[in-house]
Amino acid sequence: MSALDLPKEQDLVEYRVDRVLEEANTDTRIIVLARQNDAIDTFPIWVGAAEGNAIKLALDTMITPRPMSHDLIKSFAEHLNITIQRVIIADVKNSTYYALVHVSNKGVERTIDARPSDAIALALRAPCPIYITRDVLKRRSTTNLEAWLAKLESKDIGTPEVREM
Amino acid sequence: MITQMQVKGLMFDPYNNAYIVVLRDEEHSDMLPIWVGKSEAGAISMSMENITPPRPMTHDFMKSLLDAYNAKVISVVITDLSEHTYFSKIHLMYEDSEYTVDARPSDAIALALRSNAPVFANNSVITKQSSEELEQWLENLKPEDFGKLDS
Repeated sequence: MSALDLPKEQDLVEYRVDRVLEEANTDTRIIVLARQNDAIDTFPIWVGAAEGNAIKLALDTMITPRPMSHDLIKSFAEHLNITIQRVIIADVKNSTYYALVHVSNKGVERTIDARPSDAIALALRAPCPIYITRDVLKRRSTTNLEAWLAKLESKDIGTPEVREM
Repeated sequence: MITQMQVKGLMFDPYNNAYIVVLRDEEHSDMLPIWVGKSEAGAISMSMENITPPRPMTHDFMKSLLDAYNAKVISVVITDLSEHTYFSKIHLMYEDSEYTVDARPSDAIALALRSNAPVFANNSVITKQSSEELEQWLENLKPEDFGKLDS
């Protein structure tokens, strides 16, 4: 299956999900990752509203009456004895981040291509660590994100309404 | 008793600001409308229209995980309706064993379409043709009303 290369251990930096912000007037959310043991270094990722809500629900450890999509993925993993080892933000192309989900089952390891939003939503539920490669950290945008994020701070989103269909 | 259903289309329900996935049996005598959210409808619509997004969407990733270990979706069954909520089960085959996993119908259908797996409904769940209003609404719909999302 996967021909995706798993980055080397020493090239990974661990991050955690710090918060989910709502961007005013758009249907997007910003997932703010913070460096483990170093809250000063943050790494924002723009995602869609539904994707952001899937992460927000897990961050707030909200239990929904019915399993959401990423709960189902976790449920599949549990049924099949697949361990979600870790997720890695491993590449950036044209301002789009690429993630890998590293899984294993009875010693058989696989690396699955994913959007960062799916990878992070799953990582919070697994739970498993989230890493960003040094290469991606080097190539990230250099806009003054901190100042810009500070402006958004007051708009920290509430828990999304969960609609069960 | 279960009946195989075809995923016929998606409609927007402006009254509830939600989408309706329409399932019909092969003789077109029974119909099952299931209300789903916008992103869930998008996941179903993409698969119905054979759109391959540049990046894997959530259910594409879900299928990748199953594919990585040769787990197969055998079927999906809409099993129950309780307090306006439909319940469903996904049947998986993995290493000669069958697994049954609880899911929302929207996830189950989105995954079934990507896996070419049949969708069934428990007969007790299938809405009989009693709802004439909905029936008429469906008849008045033009083909181009189906399977389109404005997002």
